Amino acid sequence: MTVSRALLKSRSGSAGLVLVGLLLLSALVSLVWTPYDPTLARPRDGWLLPFSGGHVLGTDRLGRDELSQLLAGARGTLLTALLAATIAAVVGLALALAAVLVPRWIGAAVVQLTDVLIAFPVLLIAMILTAVYGGSTWTVVTAVGVGAGVNLARVARAEAGRVLNTDYVLAAHAAGSGTWRTVRKHLLPNIAPTLVVQLSLVLSVAVLAEAALSFLGFGAPAPAVSWGRMLHEQQQYIAARPLLVIWPGLAVAASVLGFNLLGDGLREAADARLRIREAR
Amino acid sequence: MRRTTALRLAATAVLAGLAATACGTGSADDPANAGQTSQAAEPAAIDTGATVDVRLVLEPTSLDIASTAGAALDQILLDNIYQGLLTRDENNKIEPSLATSYDTSPDGLTYTFRLARNATFHDGTEVTAADAVWSLQQVTAKGSKNPDAAALASVKSVSASDDHTVVVTLKHRDTGFTWGLTGRAGVVFKKGTDFASLAGNENGTGPFKLSGWKRGSSITFVRNDAYRGKKAKVAKVVFHYIKDDNAANNAQQTGQTDIETAADATLLQPFSDKSKYTVLRGDTTDKFTLAFNNASGPTKDVRVRRAIRRAVDNAGLIKALGGAAKPVGGPVPATDPGYADLTAIDAYDPDSAEKLLEQAGYGSGLKLTVQIPNIYPAEIGDYLASELKQVGVQLTVRQVEFQTWLDTVYTKHDYQLSLVDHAEARDLDNFANPAYYFGYDNANVRKWYAAAQTAAGDAERDVLLKKAARQVAEDAAADWLFVNQTLTVVRSGVTGVPRNFTSNRYDLADLAVAKKK
Amino acid sequence: MTLYVVRRAALLVVSLLAASVLIFLVLRLLPGDIAQTIGGIKATPAQVAAVRHDLGLDRPLAAQYADWIGGVVTGDFGRSVLDGTSVSGQLAEKFAVTGPLAVGAVVLALAFAVPLGIVAAVRRDSRLGGAVNALGQFGIALPTLWVGLLLVVVFAVQLRWLPAQGFPVDGWAERGQALRSLVLPWLALALSEGAVLLRFVRSAVLEVLHQDWLRTARAKGHTRTGALVRHGLRNAAVPVVSVLGLQIAALVAGAVVVEQVFVLPGVGQMLITDVGNRDLDKVQGEILLLTGAVLVIGFLVDLAHRLIDPRLRSAV
Repeated sequence: MTVSRALLKSRSGSAGLVLVGLLLLSALVSLVWTPYDPTLARPRDGWLLPFSGGHVLGTDRLGRDELSQLLAGARGTLLTALLAATIAAVVGLALALAAVLVPRWIGAAVVQLTDVLIAFPVLLIAMILTAVYGGSTWTVVTAVGVGAGVNLARVARAEAGRVLNTDYVLAAHAAGSGTWRTVRKHLLPNIAPTLVVQLSLVLSVAVLAEAALSFLGFGAPAPAVSWGRMLHEQQQYIAARPLLVIWPGLAVAASVLGFNLLGDGLREAADARLRIREAR
Repeated sequence: MRRTTALRLAATAVLAGLAATACGTGSADDPANAGQTSQAAEPAAIDTGATVDVRLVLEPTSLDIASTAGAALDQILLDNIYQGLLTRDENNKIEPSLATSYDTSPDGLTYTFRLARNATFHDGTEVTAADAVWSLQQVTAKGSKNPDAAALASVKSVSASDDHTVVVTLKHRDTGFTWGLTGRAGVVFKKGTDFASLAGNENGTGPFKLSGWKRGSSITFVRNDAYRGKKAKVAKVVFHYIKDDNAANNAQQTGQTDIETAADATLLQPFSDKSKYTVLRGDTTDKFTLAFNNASGPTKDVRVRRAIRRAVDNAGLIKALGGAAKPVGGPVPATDPGYADLTAIDAYDPDSAEKLLEQAGYGSGLKLTVQIPNIYPAEIGDYLASELKQVGVQLTVRQVEFQTWLDTVYTKHDYQLSLVDHAEARDLDNFANPAYYFGYDNANVRKWYAAAQTAAGDAERDVLLKKAARQVAEDAAADWLFVNQTLTVVRSGVTGVPRNFTSNRYDLADLAVAKKK
Repeated sequence: MTLYVVRRAALLVVSLLAASVLIFLVLRLLPGDIAQTIGGIKATPAQVAAVRHDLGLDRPLAAQYADWIGGVVTGDFGRSVLDGTSVSGQLAEKFAVTGPLAVGAVVLALAFAVPLGIVAAVRRDSRLGGAVNALGQFGIALPTLWVGLLLVVVFAVQLRWLPAQGFPVDGWAERGQALRSLVLPWLALALSEGAVLLRFVRSAVLEVLHQDWLRTARAKGHTRTGALVRHGLRNAAVPVVSVLGLQIAALVAGAVVVEQVFVLPGVGQMLITDVGNRDLDKVQGEILLLTGAVLVIGFLVDLAHRLIDPRLRSAV
């Protein structure tokens, strides 16, 4: 049974696929078409209600089309999430493998470094990056990616330590399996389910962190469009125009949900595959 | 099935709640609706034991007004805690304070101030001329670290002719001298005060005393019962520092505050019940200034600067921000000397903006970056980017911390465009100073401004200032997007609330609360 | 075990030193300095330079670091250059808000995450398990700040049950008022924290349910729940405890956002303000104390791990 088929069979997996697919679709569509230019400000059309003046979801205070912003925001969100997850995966795996595979004293140093970095608040990294380089997608992605990466390293390290101490790995090692072979044949497949779950969490954490950082004023500025930025700008007016806050919030929630469900589905699929292989 | 129904019901209830707040447009499309300029008279019976909770925006970084810059210090400390020889009223008219009267010699070089006889510091000691002389000398001394020292730059010497008379001699006539005394440079401290000890403390002469400072949250003043003059009408004032407009609005709406300063013009809908709230509309000298680097980069070319001014529709921006602002067109706001309506200069005209850019060699497009401190609404940057895009200028907005702005833009002049609220009154001198971050240099402007400073009378001064201001606007030294107006929401029963210039000083002397029946 | 503890403690000290160097240097990357904050936009460059000299900011970095760390070793974490308040005093004052906020949120989160997580795992194939799992998924997905905003609109502005923002001026002296102002922040924070924990509790319990020994225990006549309670939960607790340790950092970040939404004068707000003012003497003390706290908690979590999971005791 292939992973994709298992994914489709699982309920959360298929729901996740649908949500992530929607996100992907919105992002792709926004590349070629949005109802209006999402950054075009026309204050005289400010705060139009839904379905008025040709604006399906209405406009914000500057007269920008809400739907166009939501579509364009999907692009920013997807980009942020994928870049942050890539950085996190590279940082996390490298640190975790370094901790368990290299000579003990280097490993211990790596573990300590990881712990120091974990203790360092992501927010502070973001604030400092923003202060030095100005707010941008890259500062958000770097801060979230590194922050999530060191956390991932810790989980992966614990998991790797556990796997390396299991009887069958010890037995394989005793039977002459080389380090690299052990990593490839036993370690990676065994920690993969945990890593996949963690990475799906990183994707969702990145989406949420982008929203939080933008909310605090450390996000990517104009002309970039993102849901976090929409929340940041619209939250002031939640009392007057709640829907303008609710839409981007729901969009964030749906994406996070999508990534999480997809992660769940992937884990179930991987679990199933593992079980089948072990059974053989 | 039942589960989904329950869930749907809950969701409907939440959405209905939200919708209830949304009905009514909430916006102040007609600026005339957004606030009034008069408030109820003081009621016959006032509660002298009352506590008033006031929402302010920016918290002071320190209370040491002698060494630490920041309008947030001036706002609460001047008039209430500390007093100078002179002060200014609601309309920026100069008034006596610790000095009950003063004379000027015919040549305009000698000022004689007579001090109030019964004034005391909060520690109980009497205020004498020696204190005033010492205080002014700290400001004018060589190497003075008072950030406002420039206000008294024309002072030659300060002396006491008796215990209650202070004589100041000037190097040259200075039409700005008495104004300078009304600010923090003129504050009278007890002789020999160690300013560092004032960082979280005070020893002023005003009608209020500091009672507590919860950093990051609130500052509390209590009435100074030993005050020499008219005593304060409320027992206690608590300033709550709430940056977020929505949170401040909620606080006022739910009764956590009695007064909300700097209310957002688009959020006034909850306060439309006139029997419960008064919305005051006041003037400010907050000039939201889109500064151009006049000394280097593409904006060195006057055609580019003029094009940008013409490309931005200031009226649209004012509308987007809820209408509580006025177009100005030049560096001088209506409440300052030297004001003239300059909005006709480089008025909104995107077509001619495009032509100017073409003439300047940017017909195929121009990329610019604007640096905006993140304390201002993000929408201003979005709006500028959108407007400039229409004429082929691709504007990148860099939202920076104020400190980063101070470092890169203000100190190092490393910028193309910048947006800052120049809140100071009477600050035309920034355009007469080529070393200022604007990098603007025009010999005539410098000459006229200097002549205005030493003019024999206000009328002569105003003519010169007007000339200078017009030249600055014609050279498109900056784009003055708008002058802010400030809205204050007041719970009914509270009177004597400051209306104008509330972010520069917040005089609580008349504040009163009606006695509950 | 003793050897392990000693070695681990020595490493902790090294980590703290490394953290202090890192914090000190990284903060020096920030553009602008406190002399500029004090001088503002009216002081002349010469005045700002004079202030800088007075504060010793023009000395070599090594000397400034030595000064600071020398104080830290003797228990003096520094003072604010702006208002002279001590770092430890200010942290204590702010922690009186953030501490109860974070601890209350974790307690609330655990209170519903653990039972629901177990239910979701044990009943994974039933409708109930599916519903609980879905609830958890939704909880994680909702942005904390957004939930906070909506809570305020509904419960403070509409229903007027709870305060919309702020913390009483007299702090915990007004206990009822203080508690009331924390209810909505607790809810906002606990929702996402609890949902994350629920997920981990569920997967940890699921993991345990698959283990051979549990099957053995059942074969020996225990009911499934009985077997789980007797043997399983202890094993399931291992990953949950480690996640809880990791969540401390996330919780601090969440607290910053929640403090911002509810205008609470806590640690997060103070940090943002102090970084904004470039009051670096204060910031570095605060961050070192916070980082130190997380490192110490990590150390304790590691020890707890060893106590819970006997297999690890013999390992490195």
